[in-house]
Amino acid sequence: MKAFRIPRLLQFVLVPVVVYAVTRLIFDVLLGQLIPASLMTMYMFFVLAGTFMAFTFTEDGTRELVAPIKALVEDPSRKWLRNVVFVVLPLALGFYTYQLRTPKPEAPLELRSIHPAPPSTVKAYDKRFNLLTLENPYRKLQKEDPEAFAEMVAAGAAVYIENCQYCHGDKLDGRGPYAQGLNPVPANFQDVGTIAQLQESYLFWRIATGGPGLPKEAAPWISSMPIWQDFLSEEETWQVILYLYDYTGHAPRSWEHE
Amino acid sequence: MKNFLIVVAFSLLTISLFAVYANYGIPEIVPAPPPKEEKLDLGAMTMESFVALGERIVNGKGTCTLCHNAVGGRAPLLEQVVELTKQRLADEKYEGEAEDLEGYLMESMVEPSAYVVVGFGKKGTNDTVSPMPDVSTGSIGLSEAEMAAVIAYLQESGGAEITVEIPTDADEADEEDEEEQRTALTSPEEIVSEFTCGACHIVAGEEGDVGPDLTLIGGKFDRAYLRRSILDPNADIAKGYEADQMPPDYGSQLYASELELLLDYLASLK
Amino acid sequence: MTRRSRYVTWAGLLLLFGAILWLLPIDLGQLDWQSALAADETTTDAATESDGAAEANGAAESPYAPAPKTTAADYPQIAGVNSRVVVWLVAQLHLWFAAFVLAVPIFVFIIEAIGMATREKRYDDMAYEFIKVSITAYSLTAILGGLLAFSLLVFYPDLFLYLSTIFKETMFYYALIFFAESACLYIYYYGWHWLQGPFKKWLHLSLGLLLNGVGTLLMFLANGWLTFMMSPAGVDPAGVFQGDTMVALHNYLWNPINLHRFVANIAYGGSVVGAYAAFKFLSARRAEERAHYDWMGYNANFIAICALLPLPFAGYYLSAEIYAYSQQMGITLMGGIFAWLFIIQAVLIGTLFLSANYYLWCGMGRSDGAVRYNHYIKYIAIVLVGAFLVWFTPHTLVLSNEELKALGGPYHKYLGPLGIMPAKNTAVNVMILFTALSFLIYRRANRVATANWVRMGNAIQVALFTTGIANIFFLGIYHGYFTNTVYKVAASIPQVLTTLVVIVISTLIDYFMYRGAKDVAPLHWGRVPGRSQYALFLLAVAFTWLMGLMGYIRSGIRQHWHVVDIMRDNSPDAFTPTLGYAANVVSVGTVIFMTMVIFVFWLAQVSGSKAEPSGYWKEQQA
Repeated sequence: MKAFRIPRLLQFVLVPVVVYAVTRLIFDVLLGQLIPASLMTMYMFFVLAGTFMAFTFTEDGTRELVAPIKALVEDPSRKWLRNVVFVVLPLALGFYTYQLRTPKPEAPLELRSIHPAPPSTVKAYDKRFNLLTLENPYRKLQKEDPEAFAEMVAAGAAVYIENCQYCHGDKLDGRGPYAQGLNPVPANFQDVGTIAQLQESYLFWRIATGGPGLPKEAAPWISSMPIWQDFLSEEETWQVILYLYDYTGHAPRSWEHE
Repeated sequence: MKNFLIVVAFSLLTISLFAVYANYGIPEIVPAPPPKEEKLDLGAMTMESFVALGERIVNGKGTCTLCHNAVGGRAPLLEQVVELTKQRLADEKYEGEAEDLEGYLMESMVEPSAYVVVGFGKKGTNDTVSPMPDVSTGSIGLSEAEMAAVIAYLQESGGAEITVEIPTDADEADEEDEEEQRTALTSPEEIVSEFTCGACHIVAGEEGDVGPDLTLIGGKFDRAYLRRSILDPNADIAKGYEADQMPPDYGSQLYASELELLLDYLASLK
Repeated sequence: MTRRSRYVTWAGLLLLFGAILWLLPIDLGQLDWQSALAADETTTDAATESDGAAEANGAAESPYAPAPKTTAADYPQIAGVNSRVVVWLVAQLHLWFAAFVLAVPIFVFIIEAIGMATREKRYDDMAYEFIKVSITAYSLTAILGGLLAFSLLVFYPDLFLYLSTIFKETMFYYALIFFAESACLYIYYYGWHWLQGPFKKWLHLSLGLLLNGVGTLLMFLANGWLTFMMSPAGVDPAGVFQGDTMVALHNYLWNPINLHRFVANIAYGGSVVGAYAAFKFLSARRAEERAHYDWMGYNANFIAICALLPLPFAGYYLSAEIYAYSQQMGITLMGGIFAWLFIIQAVLIGTLFLSANYYLWCGMGRSDGAVRYNHYIKYIAIVLVGAFLVWFTPHTLVLSNEELKALGGPYHKYLGPLGIMPAKNTAVNVMILFTALSFLIYRRANRVATANWVRMGNAIQVALFTTGIANIFFLGIYHGYFTNTVYKVAASIPQVLTTLVVIVISTLIDYFMYRGAKDVAPLHWGRVPGRSQYALFLLAVAFTWLMGLMGYIRSGIRQHWHVVDIMRDNSPDAFTPTLGYAANVVSVGTVIFMTMVIFVFWLAQVSGSKAEPSGYWKEQQA
């Protein structure tokens, strides 16, 4: 006979708790890819169902499982404990529901793709550009003629200050004076996840066609980015792109070096 | 009775659990409404809006991007078609009759198996049969004008020159009228003027100078020769004149009675 | 002829019939595309010919009109009733009852045959109890069928007219065959006690076979009409009928649907009968009654599970054929709007598997020898739940904003790969294998093998299961993730074969190993907890609801077409409803259906009870 055995009811409670904790530990901490709450709820529901099945398929097992509960409800000597449990349990459940339903200071759920796949070609300035091969025409100056390149960047800076900084910020960090009022928030160019991951042609596309030019998968189309081809010349667009990379110190992504 | 109620409650609970999960457990997606059958106003179209119509059809009604996309890899990418067409037309596998980009695109839409890009054929046919449907029929059912718009879009997006013309409602109507309503002509003069023979030949009082003089033609050649010259103009070329000048399709435009009448007339010119 | 030889002859014939029933659809399936190709060619030929004729004469020669082009005005609106919901509900109710009515005779036939083989009267009594129920259900099916025809006529007159010009002969035969079906059923039922005895019993069983044959034929005819709407054949692109009804009937999806529905009917019949037995068990007062209904529930569940195991494969066959027929329809089915429906389906199928297994485990309580196996159950439970979790993990996750940010995109690095087909195939095969394992353990629970090669037999079985599962995993992981797309789906066939081989061989080994084995003690029928009976209810409810849901998608993939690519639906209800809406309609339908089923069972019970009123009738003069 074993000296100690975890009571069956406790086992029953422990199994899902351990499964939950281990799953969260593995995915959230070790792998760094958390499990979405919606999926975790379903997982736990069926883990609970499975545990219930495994614990109650024999009469003896079930009796042992519910014995403490039965005792709690029926045993006159546990009157106090019973009263406490019967008050605390509904309150706990109520609290949980309250927590679940209270509106949180979080934007409502939107399945929106932030960097949607670009189309293969884009129409701007009454021309059609092939985004797969499009390059910044002034990028080559960086090596060939640094002086002219610096001029281009300076011109881009002027364009940026005149047009872009209101939202994207004078430090290019997406915190311009108007940024507070916008959702989705303006892109933070300093972040390694934005322009550093993208080609210049992608920026050209996003600037030239703005929020309304977003493809279907990026719906809902609530980005307030204007259609800049209506306000900036093609040259100015390329210049401002040079400035974005120059100021932040990022290099545009290119396929050749990878 | 108690058991009965418990069982009913249990069943209702189960059903409502399923229903709640279906309603709230998964994201609610509202399917797109059925496509509207669009009425085209071709008369008011500019080339730009015609190209835009083509783009809409490619992404929408034509359901082209369902397969012609970079993700699924079920059909070749349409972006490449302009570049590759020359190569495809020269391929010995090519079974169609198109000679240029416009013709090839049109043919690909109504007769997809004329050229099947390697790797995209129907399973087991060794790339000889295309899985693509004829887009002018069935559920897609594009009209001539819509297919022209698709070609315009493909040409424009591929950077090629747009060669299609915007069809007009009037064009289509005219063609139909002609085919249905033309009655056979009964005098050779009418035939000559209707088919504008005099534009090139000297005949029936008119004096064209592209083709041979017909004023004494009946004395030089017999009916069989004349018949052949009308039906197959390049069979014999008169000395001093060039081939390929006379339209080769009079055989299909003339009614049989008209042809005989015309031959009688020509043979009588001695 | 001795009794024994007659028994052997009939058993042989039965086996043959069973084999034919099984092979027929498969064989037809293979013939199918060839004849479809041939049909295709002939139709194109015919089309070109008629085109030519039309050009020459200026008028079409076919006596049939093209499919009507309707406008919203052609769909009568009556008293503000939503016509689509009415037709939807009535059709679904008709289908549920028809499935029930077709399934019960199959079920009864099997039970009767078992009774004749074992010479145990209780099987015969159980069979009779059920055929009694199906009489009322039969008339309800007919009423609902009439209602469906009427509501189609009233709400969708053009569609009904178009279909009936094509299927006019078959519709007429359908009505005639219905007579035959009724005759068979009535003789089978009312003659039950009359046709008893050595020879007469065989006659009765043959009648049952005939009843099933006729019923299946009826279903096949109706299937042809509906698959014509999905994959029309025998008409030209404008919908002009070419004159050959057989071509229209034998369209591309006919046999896949026939097979799928036939198998599903058996499983469904088993589950409804199981629910009936469960209810009787719960309300039984006497021990013998409990024993009887427990035993009945067990048998019903057994048949349901046997049919449930091959059902996923019949489903795969059907969807593969839908893909093969029309890629567009296939993408609509699996990739588009309906992708989420398969997550719901996965949850329901998982529920079916879990509750069926739970019922088996609970049933081990009937045996005194089960204690030896009880500790294995928790491992089976772990594997089943694990496989199930993989089975319903979606590819695209529902994420909150924070989670989206944390993950850096809508796709999960580690769970994403579980969302695609190879993982799901692997999971479902493992689930099926472990359900079979539950069965093996249940079978063994009450017995002690006496064969001298038990150790070796067990070792072989363990090895078989281990290598089988390893192979399924290898196929799923290697082909699913390390080869290109073409092989991803192809791996499912060897996986299925592995599963089947493992199940068949291990069952055979078990059979020989336990031949002549000792029973630990007689089985205590009725010694099961009430909980297990709720598993049977869950099975029936989930099954019914699932059938409704799958009915929605089968019909829904036609989208805005009455007859795909031939006749467009221009009614105000041509749009595809959302999943939630469909689920609500299905739920309402399920509740209505269950109410009607309760009524049917109640009738059966009432017909058996007699009241003895005192003083109501005049005293008979002696």
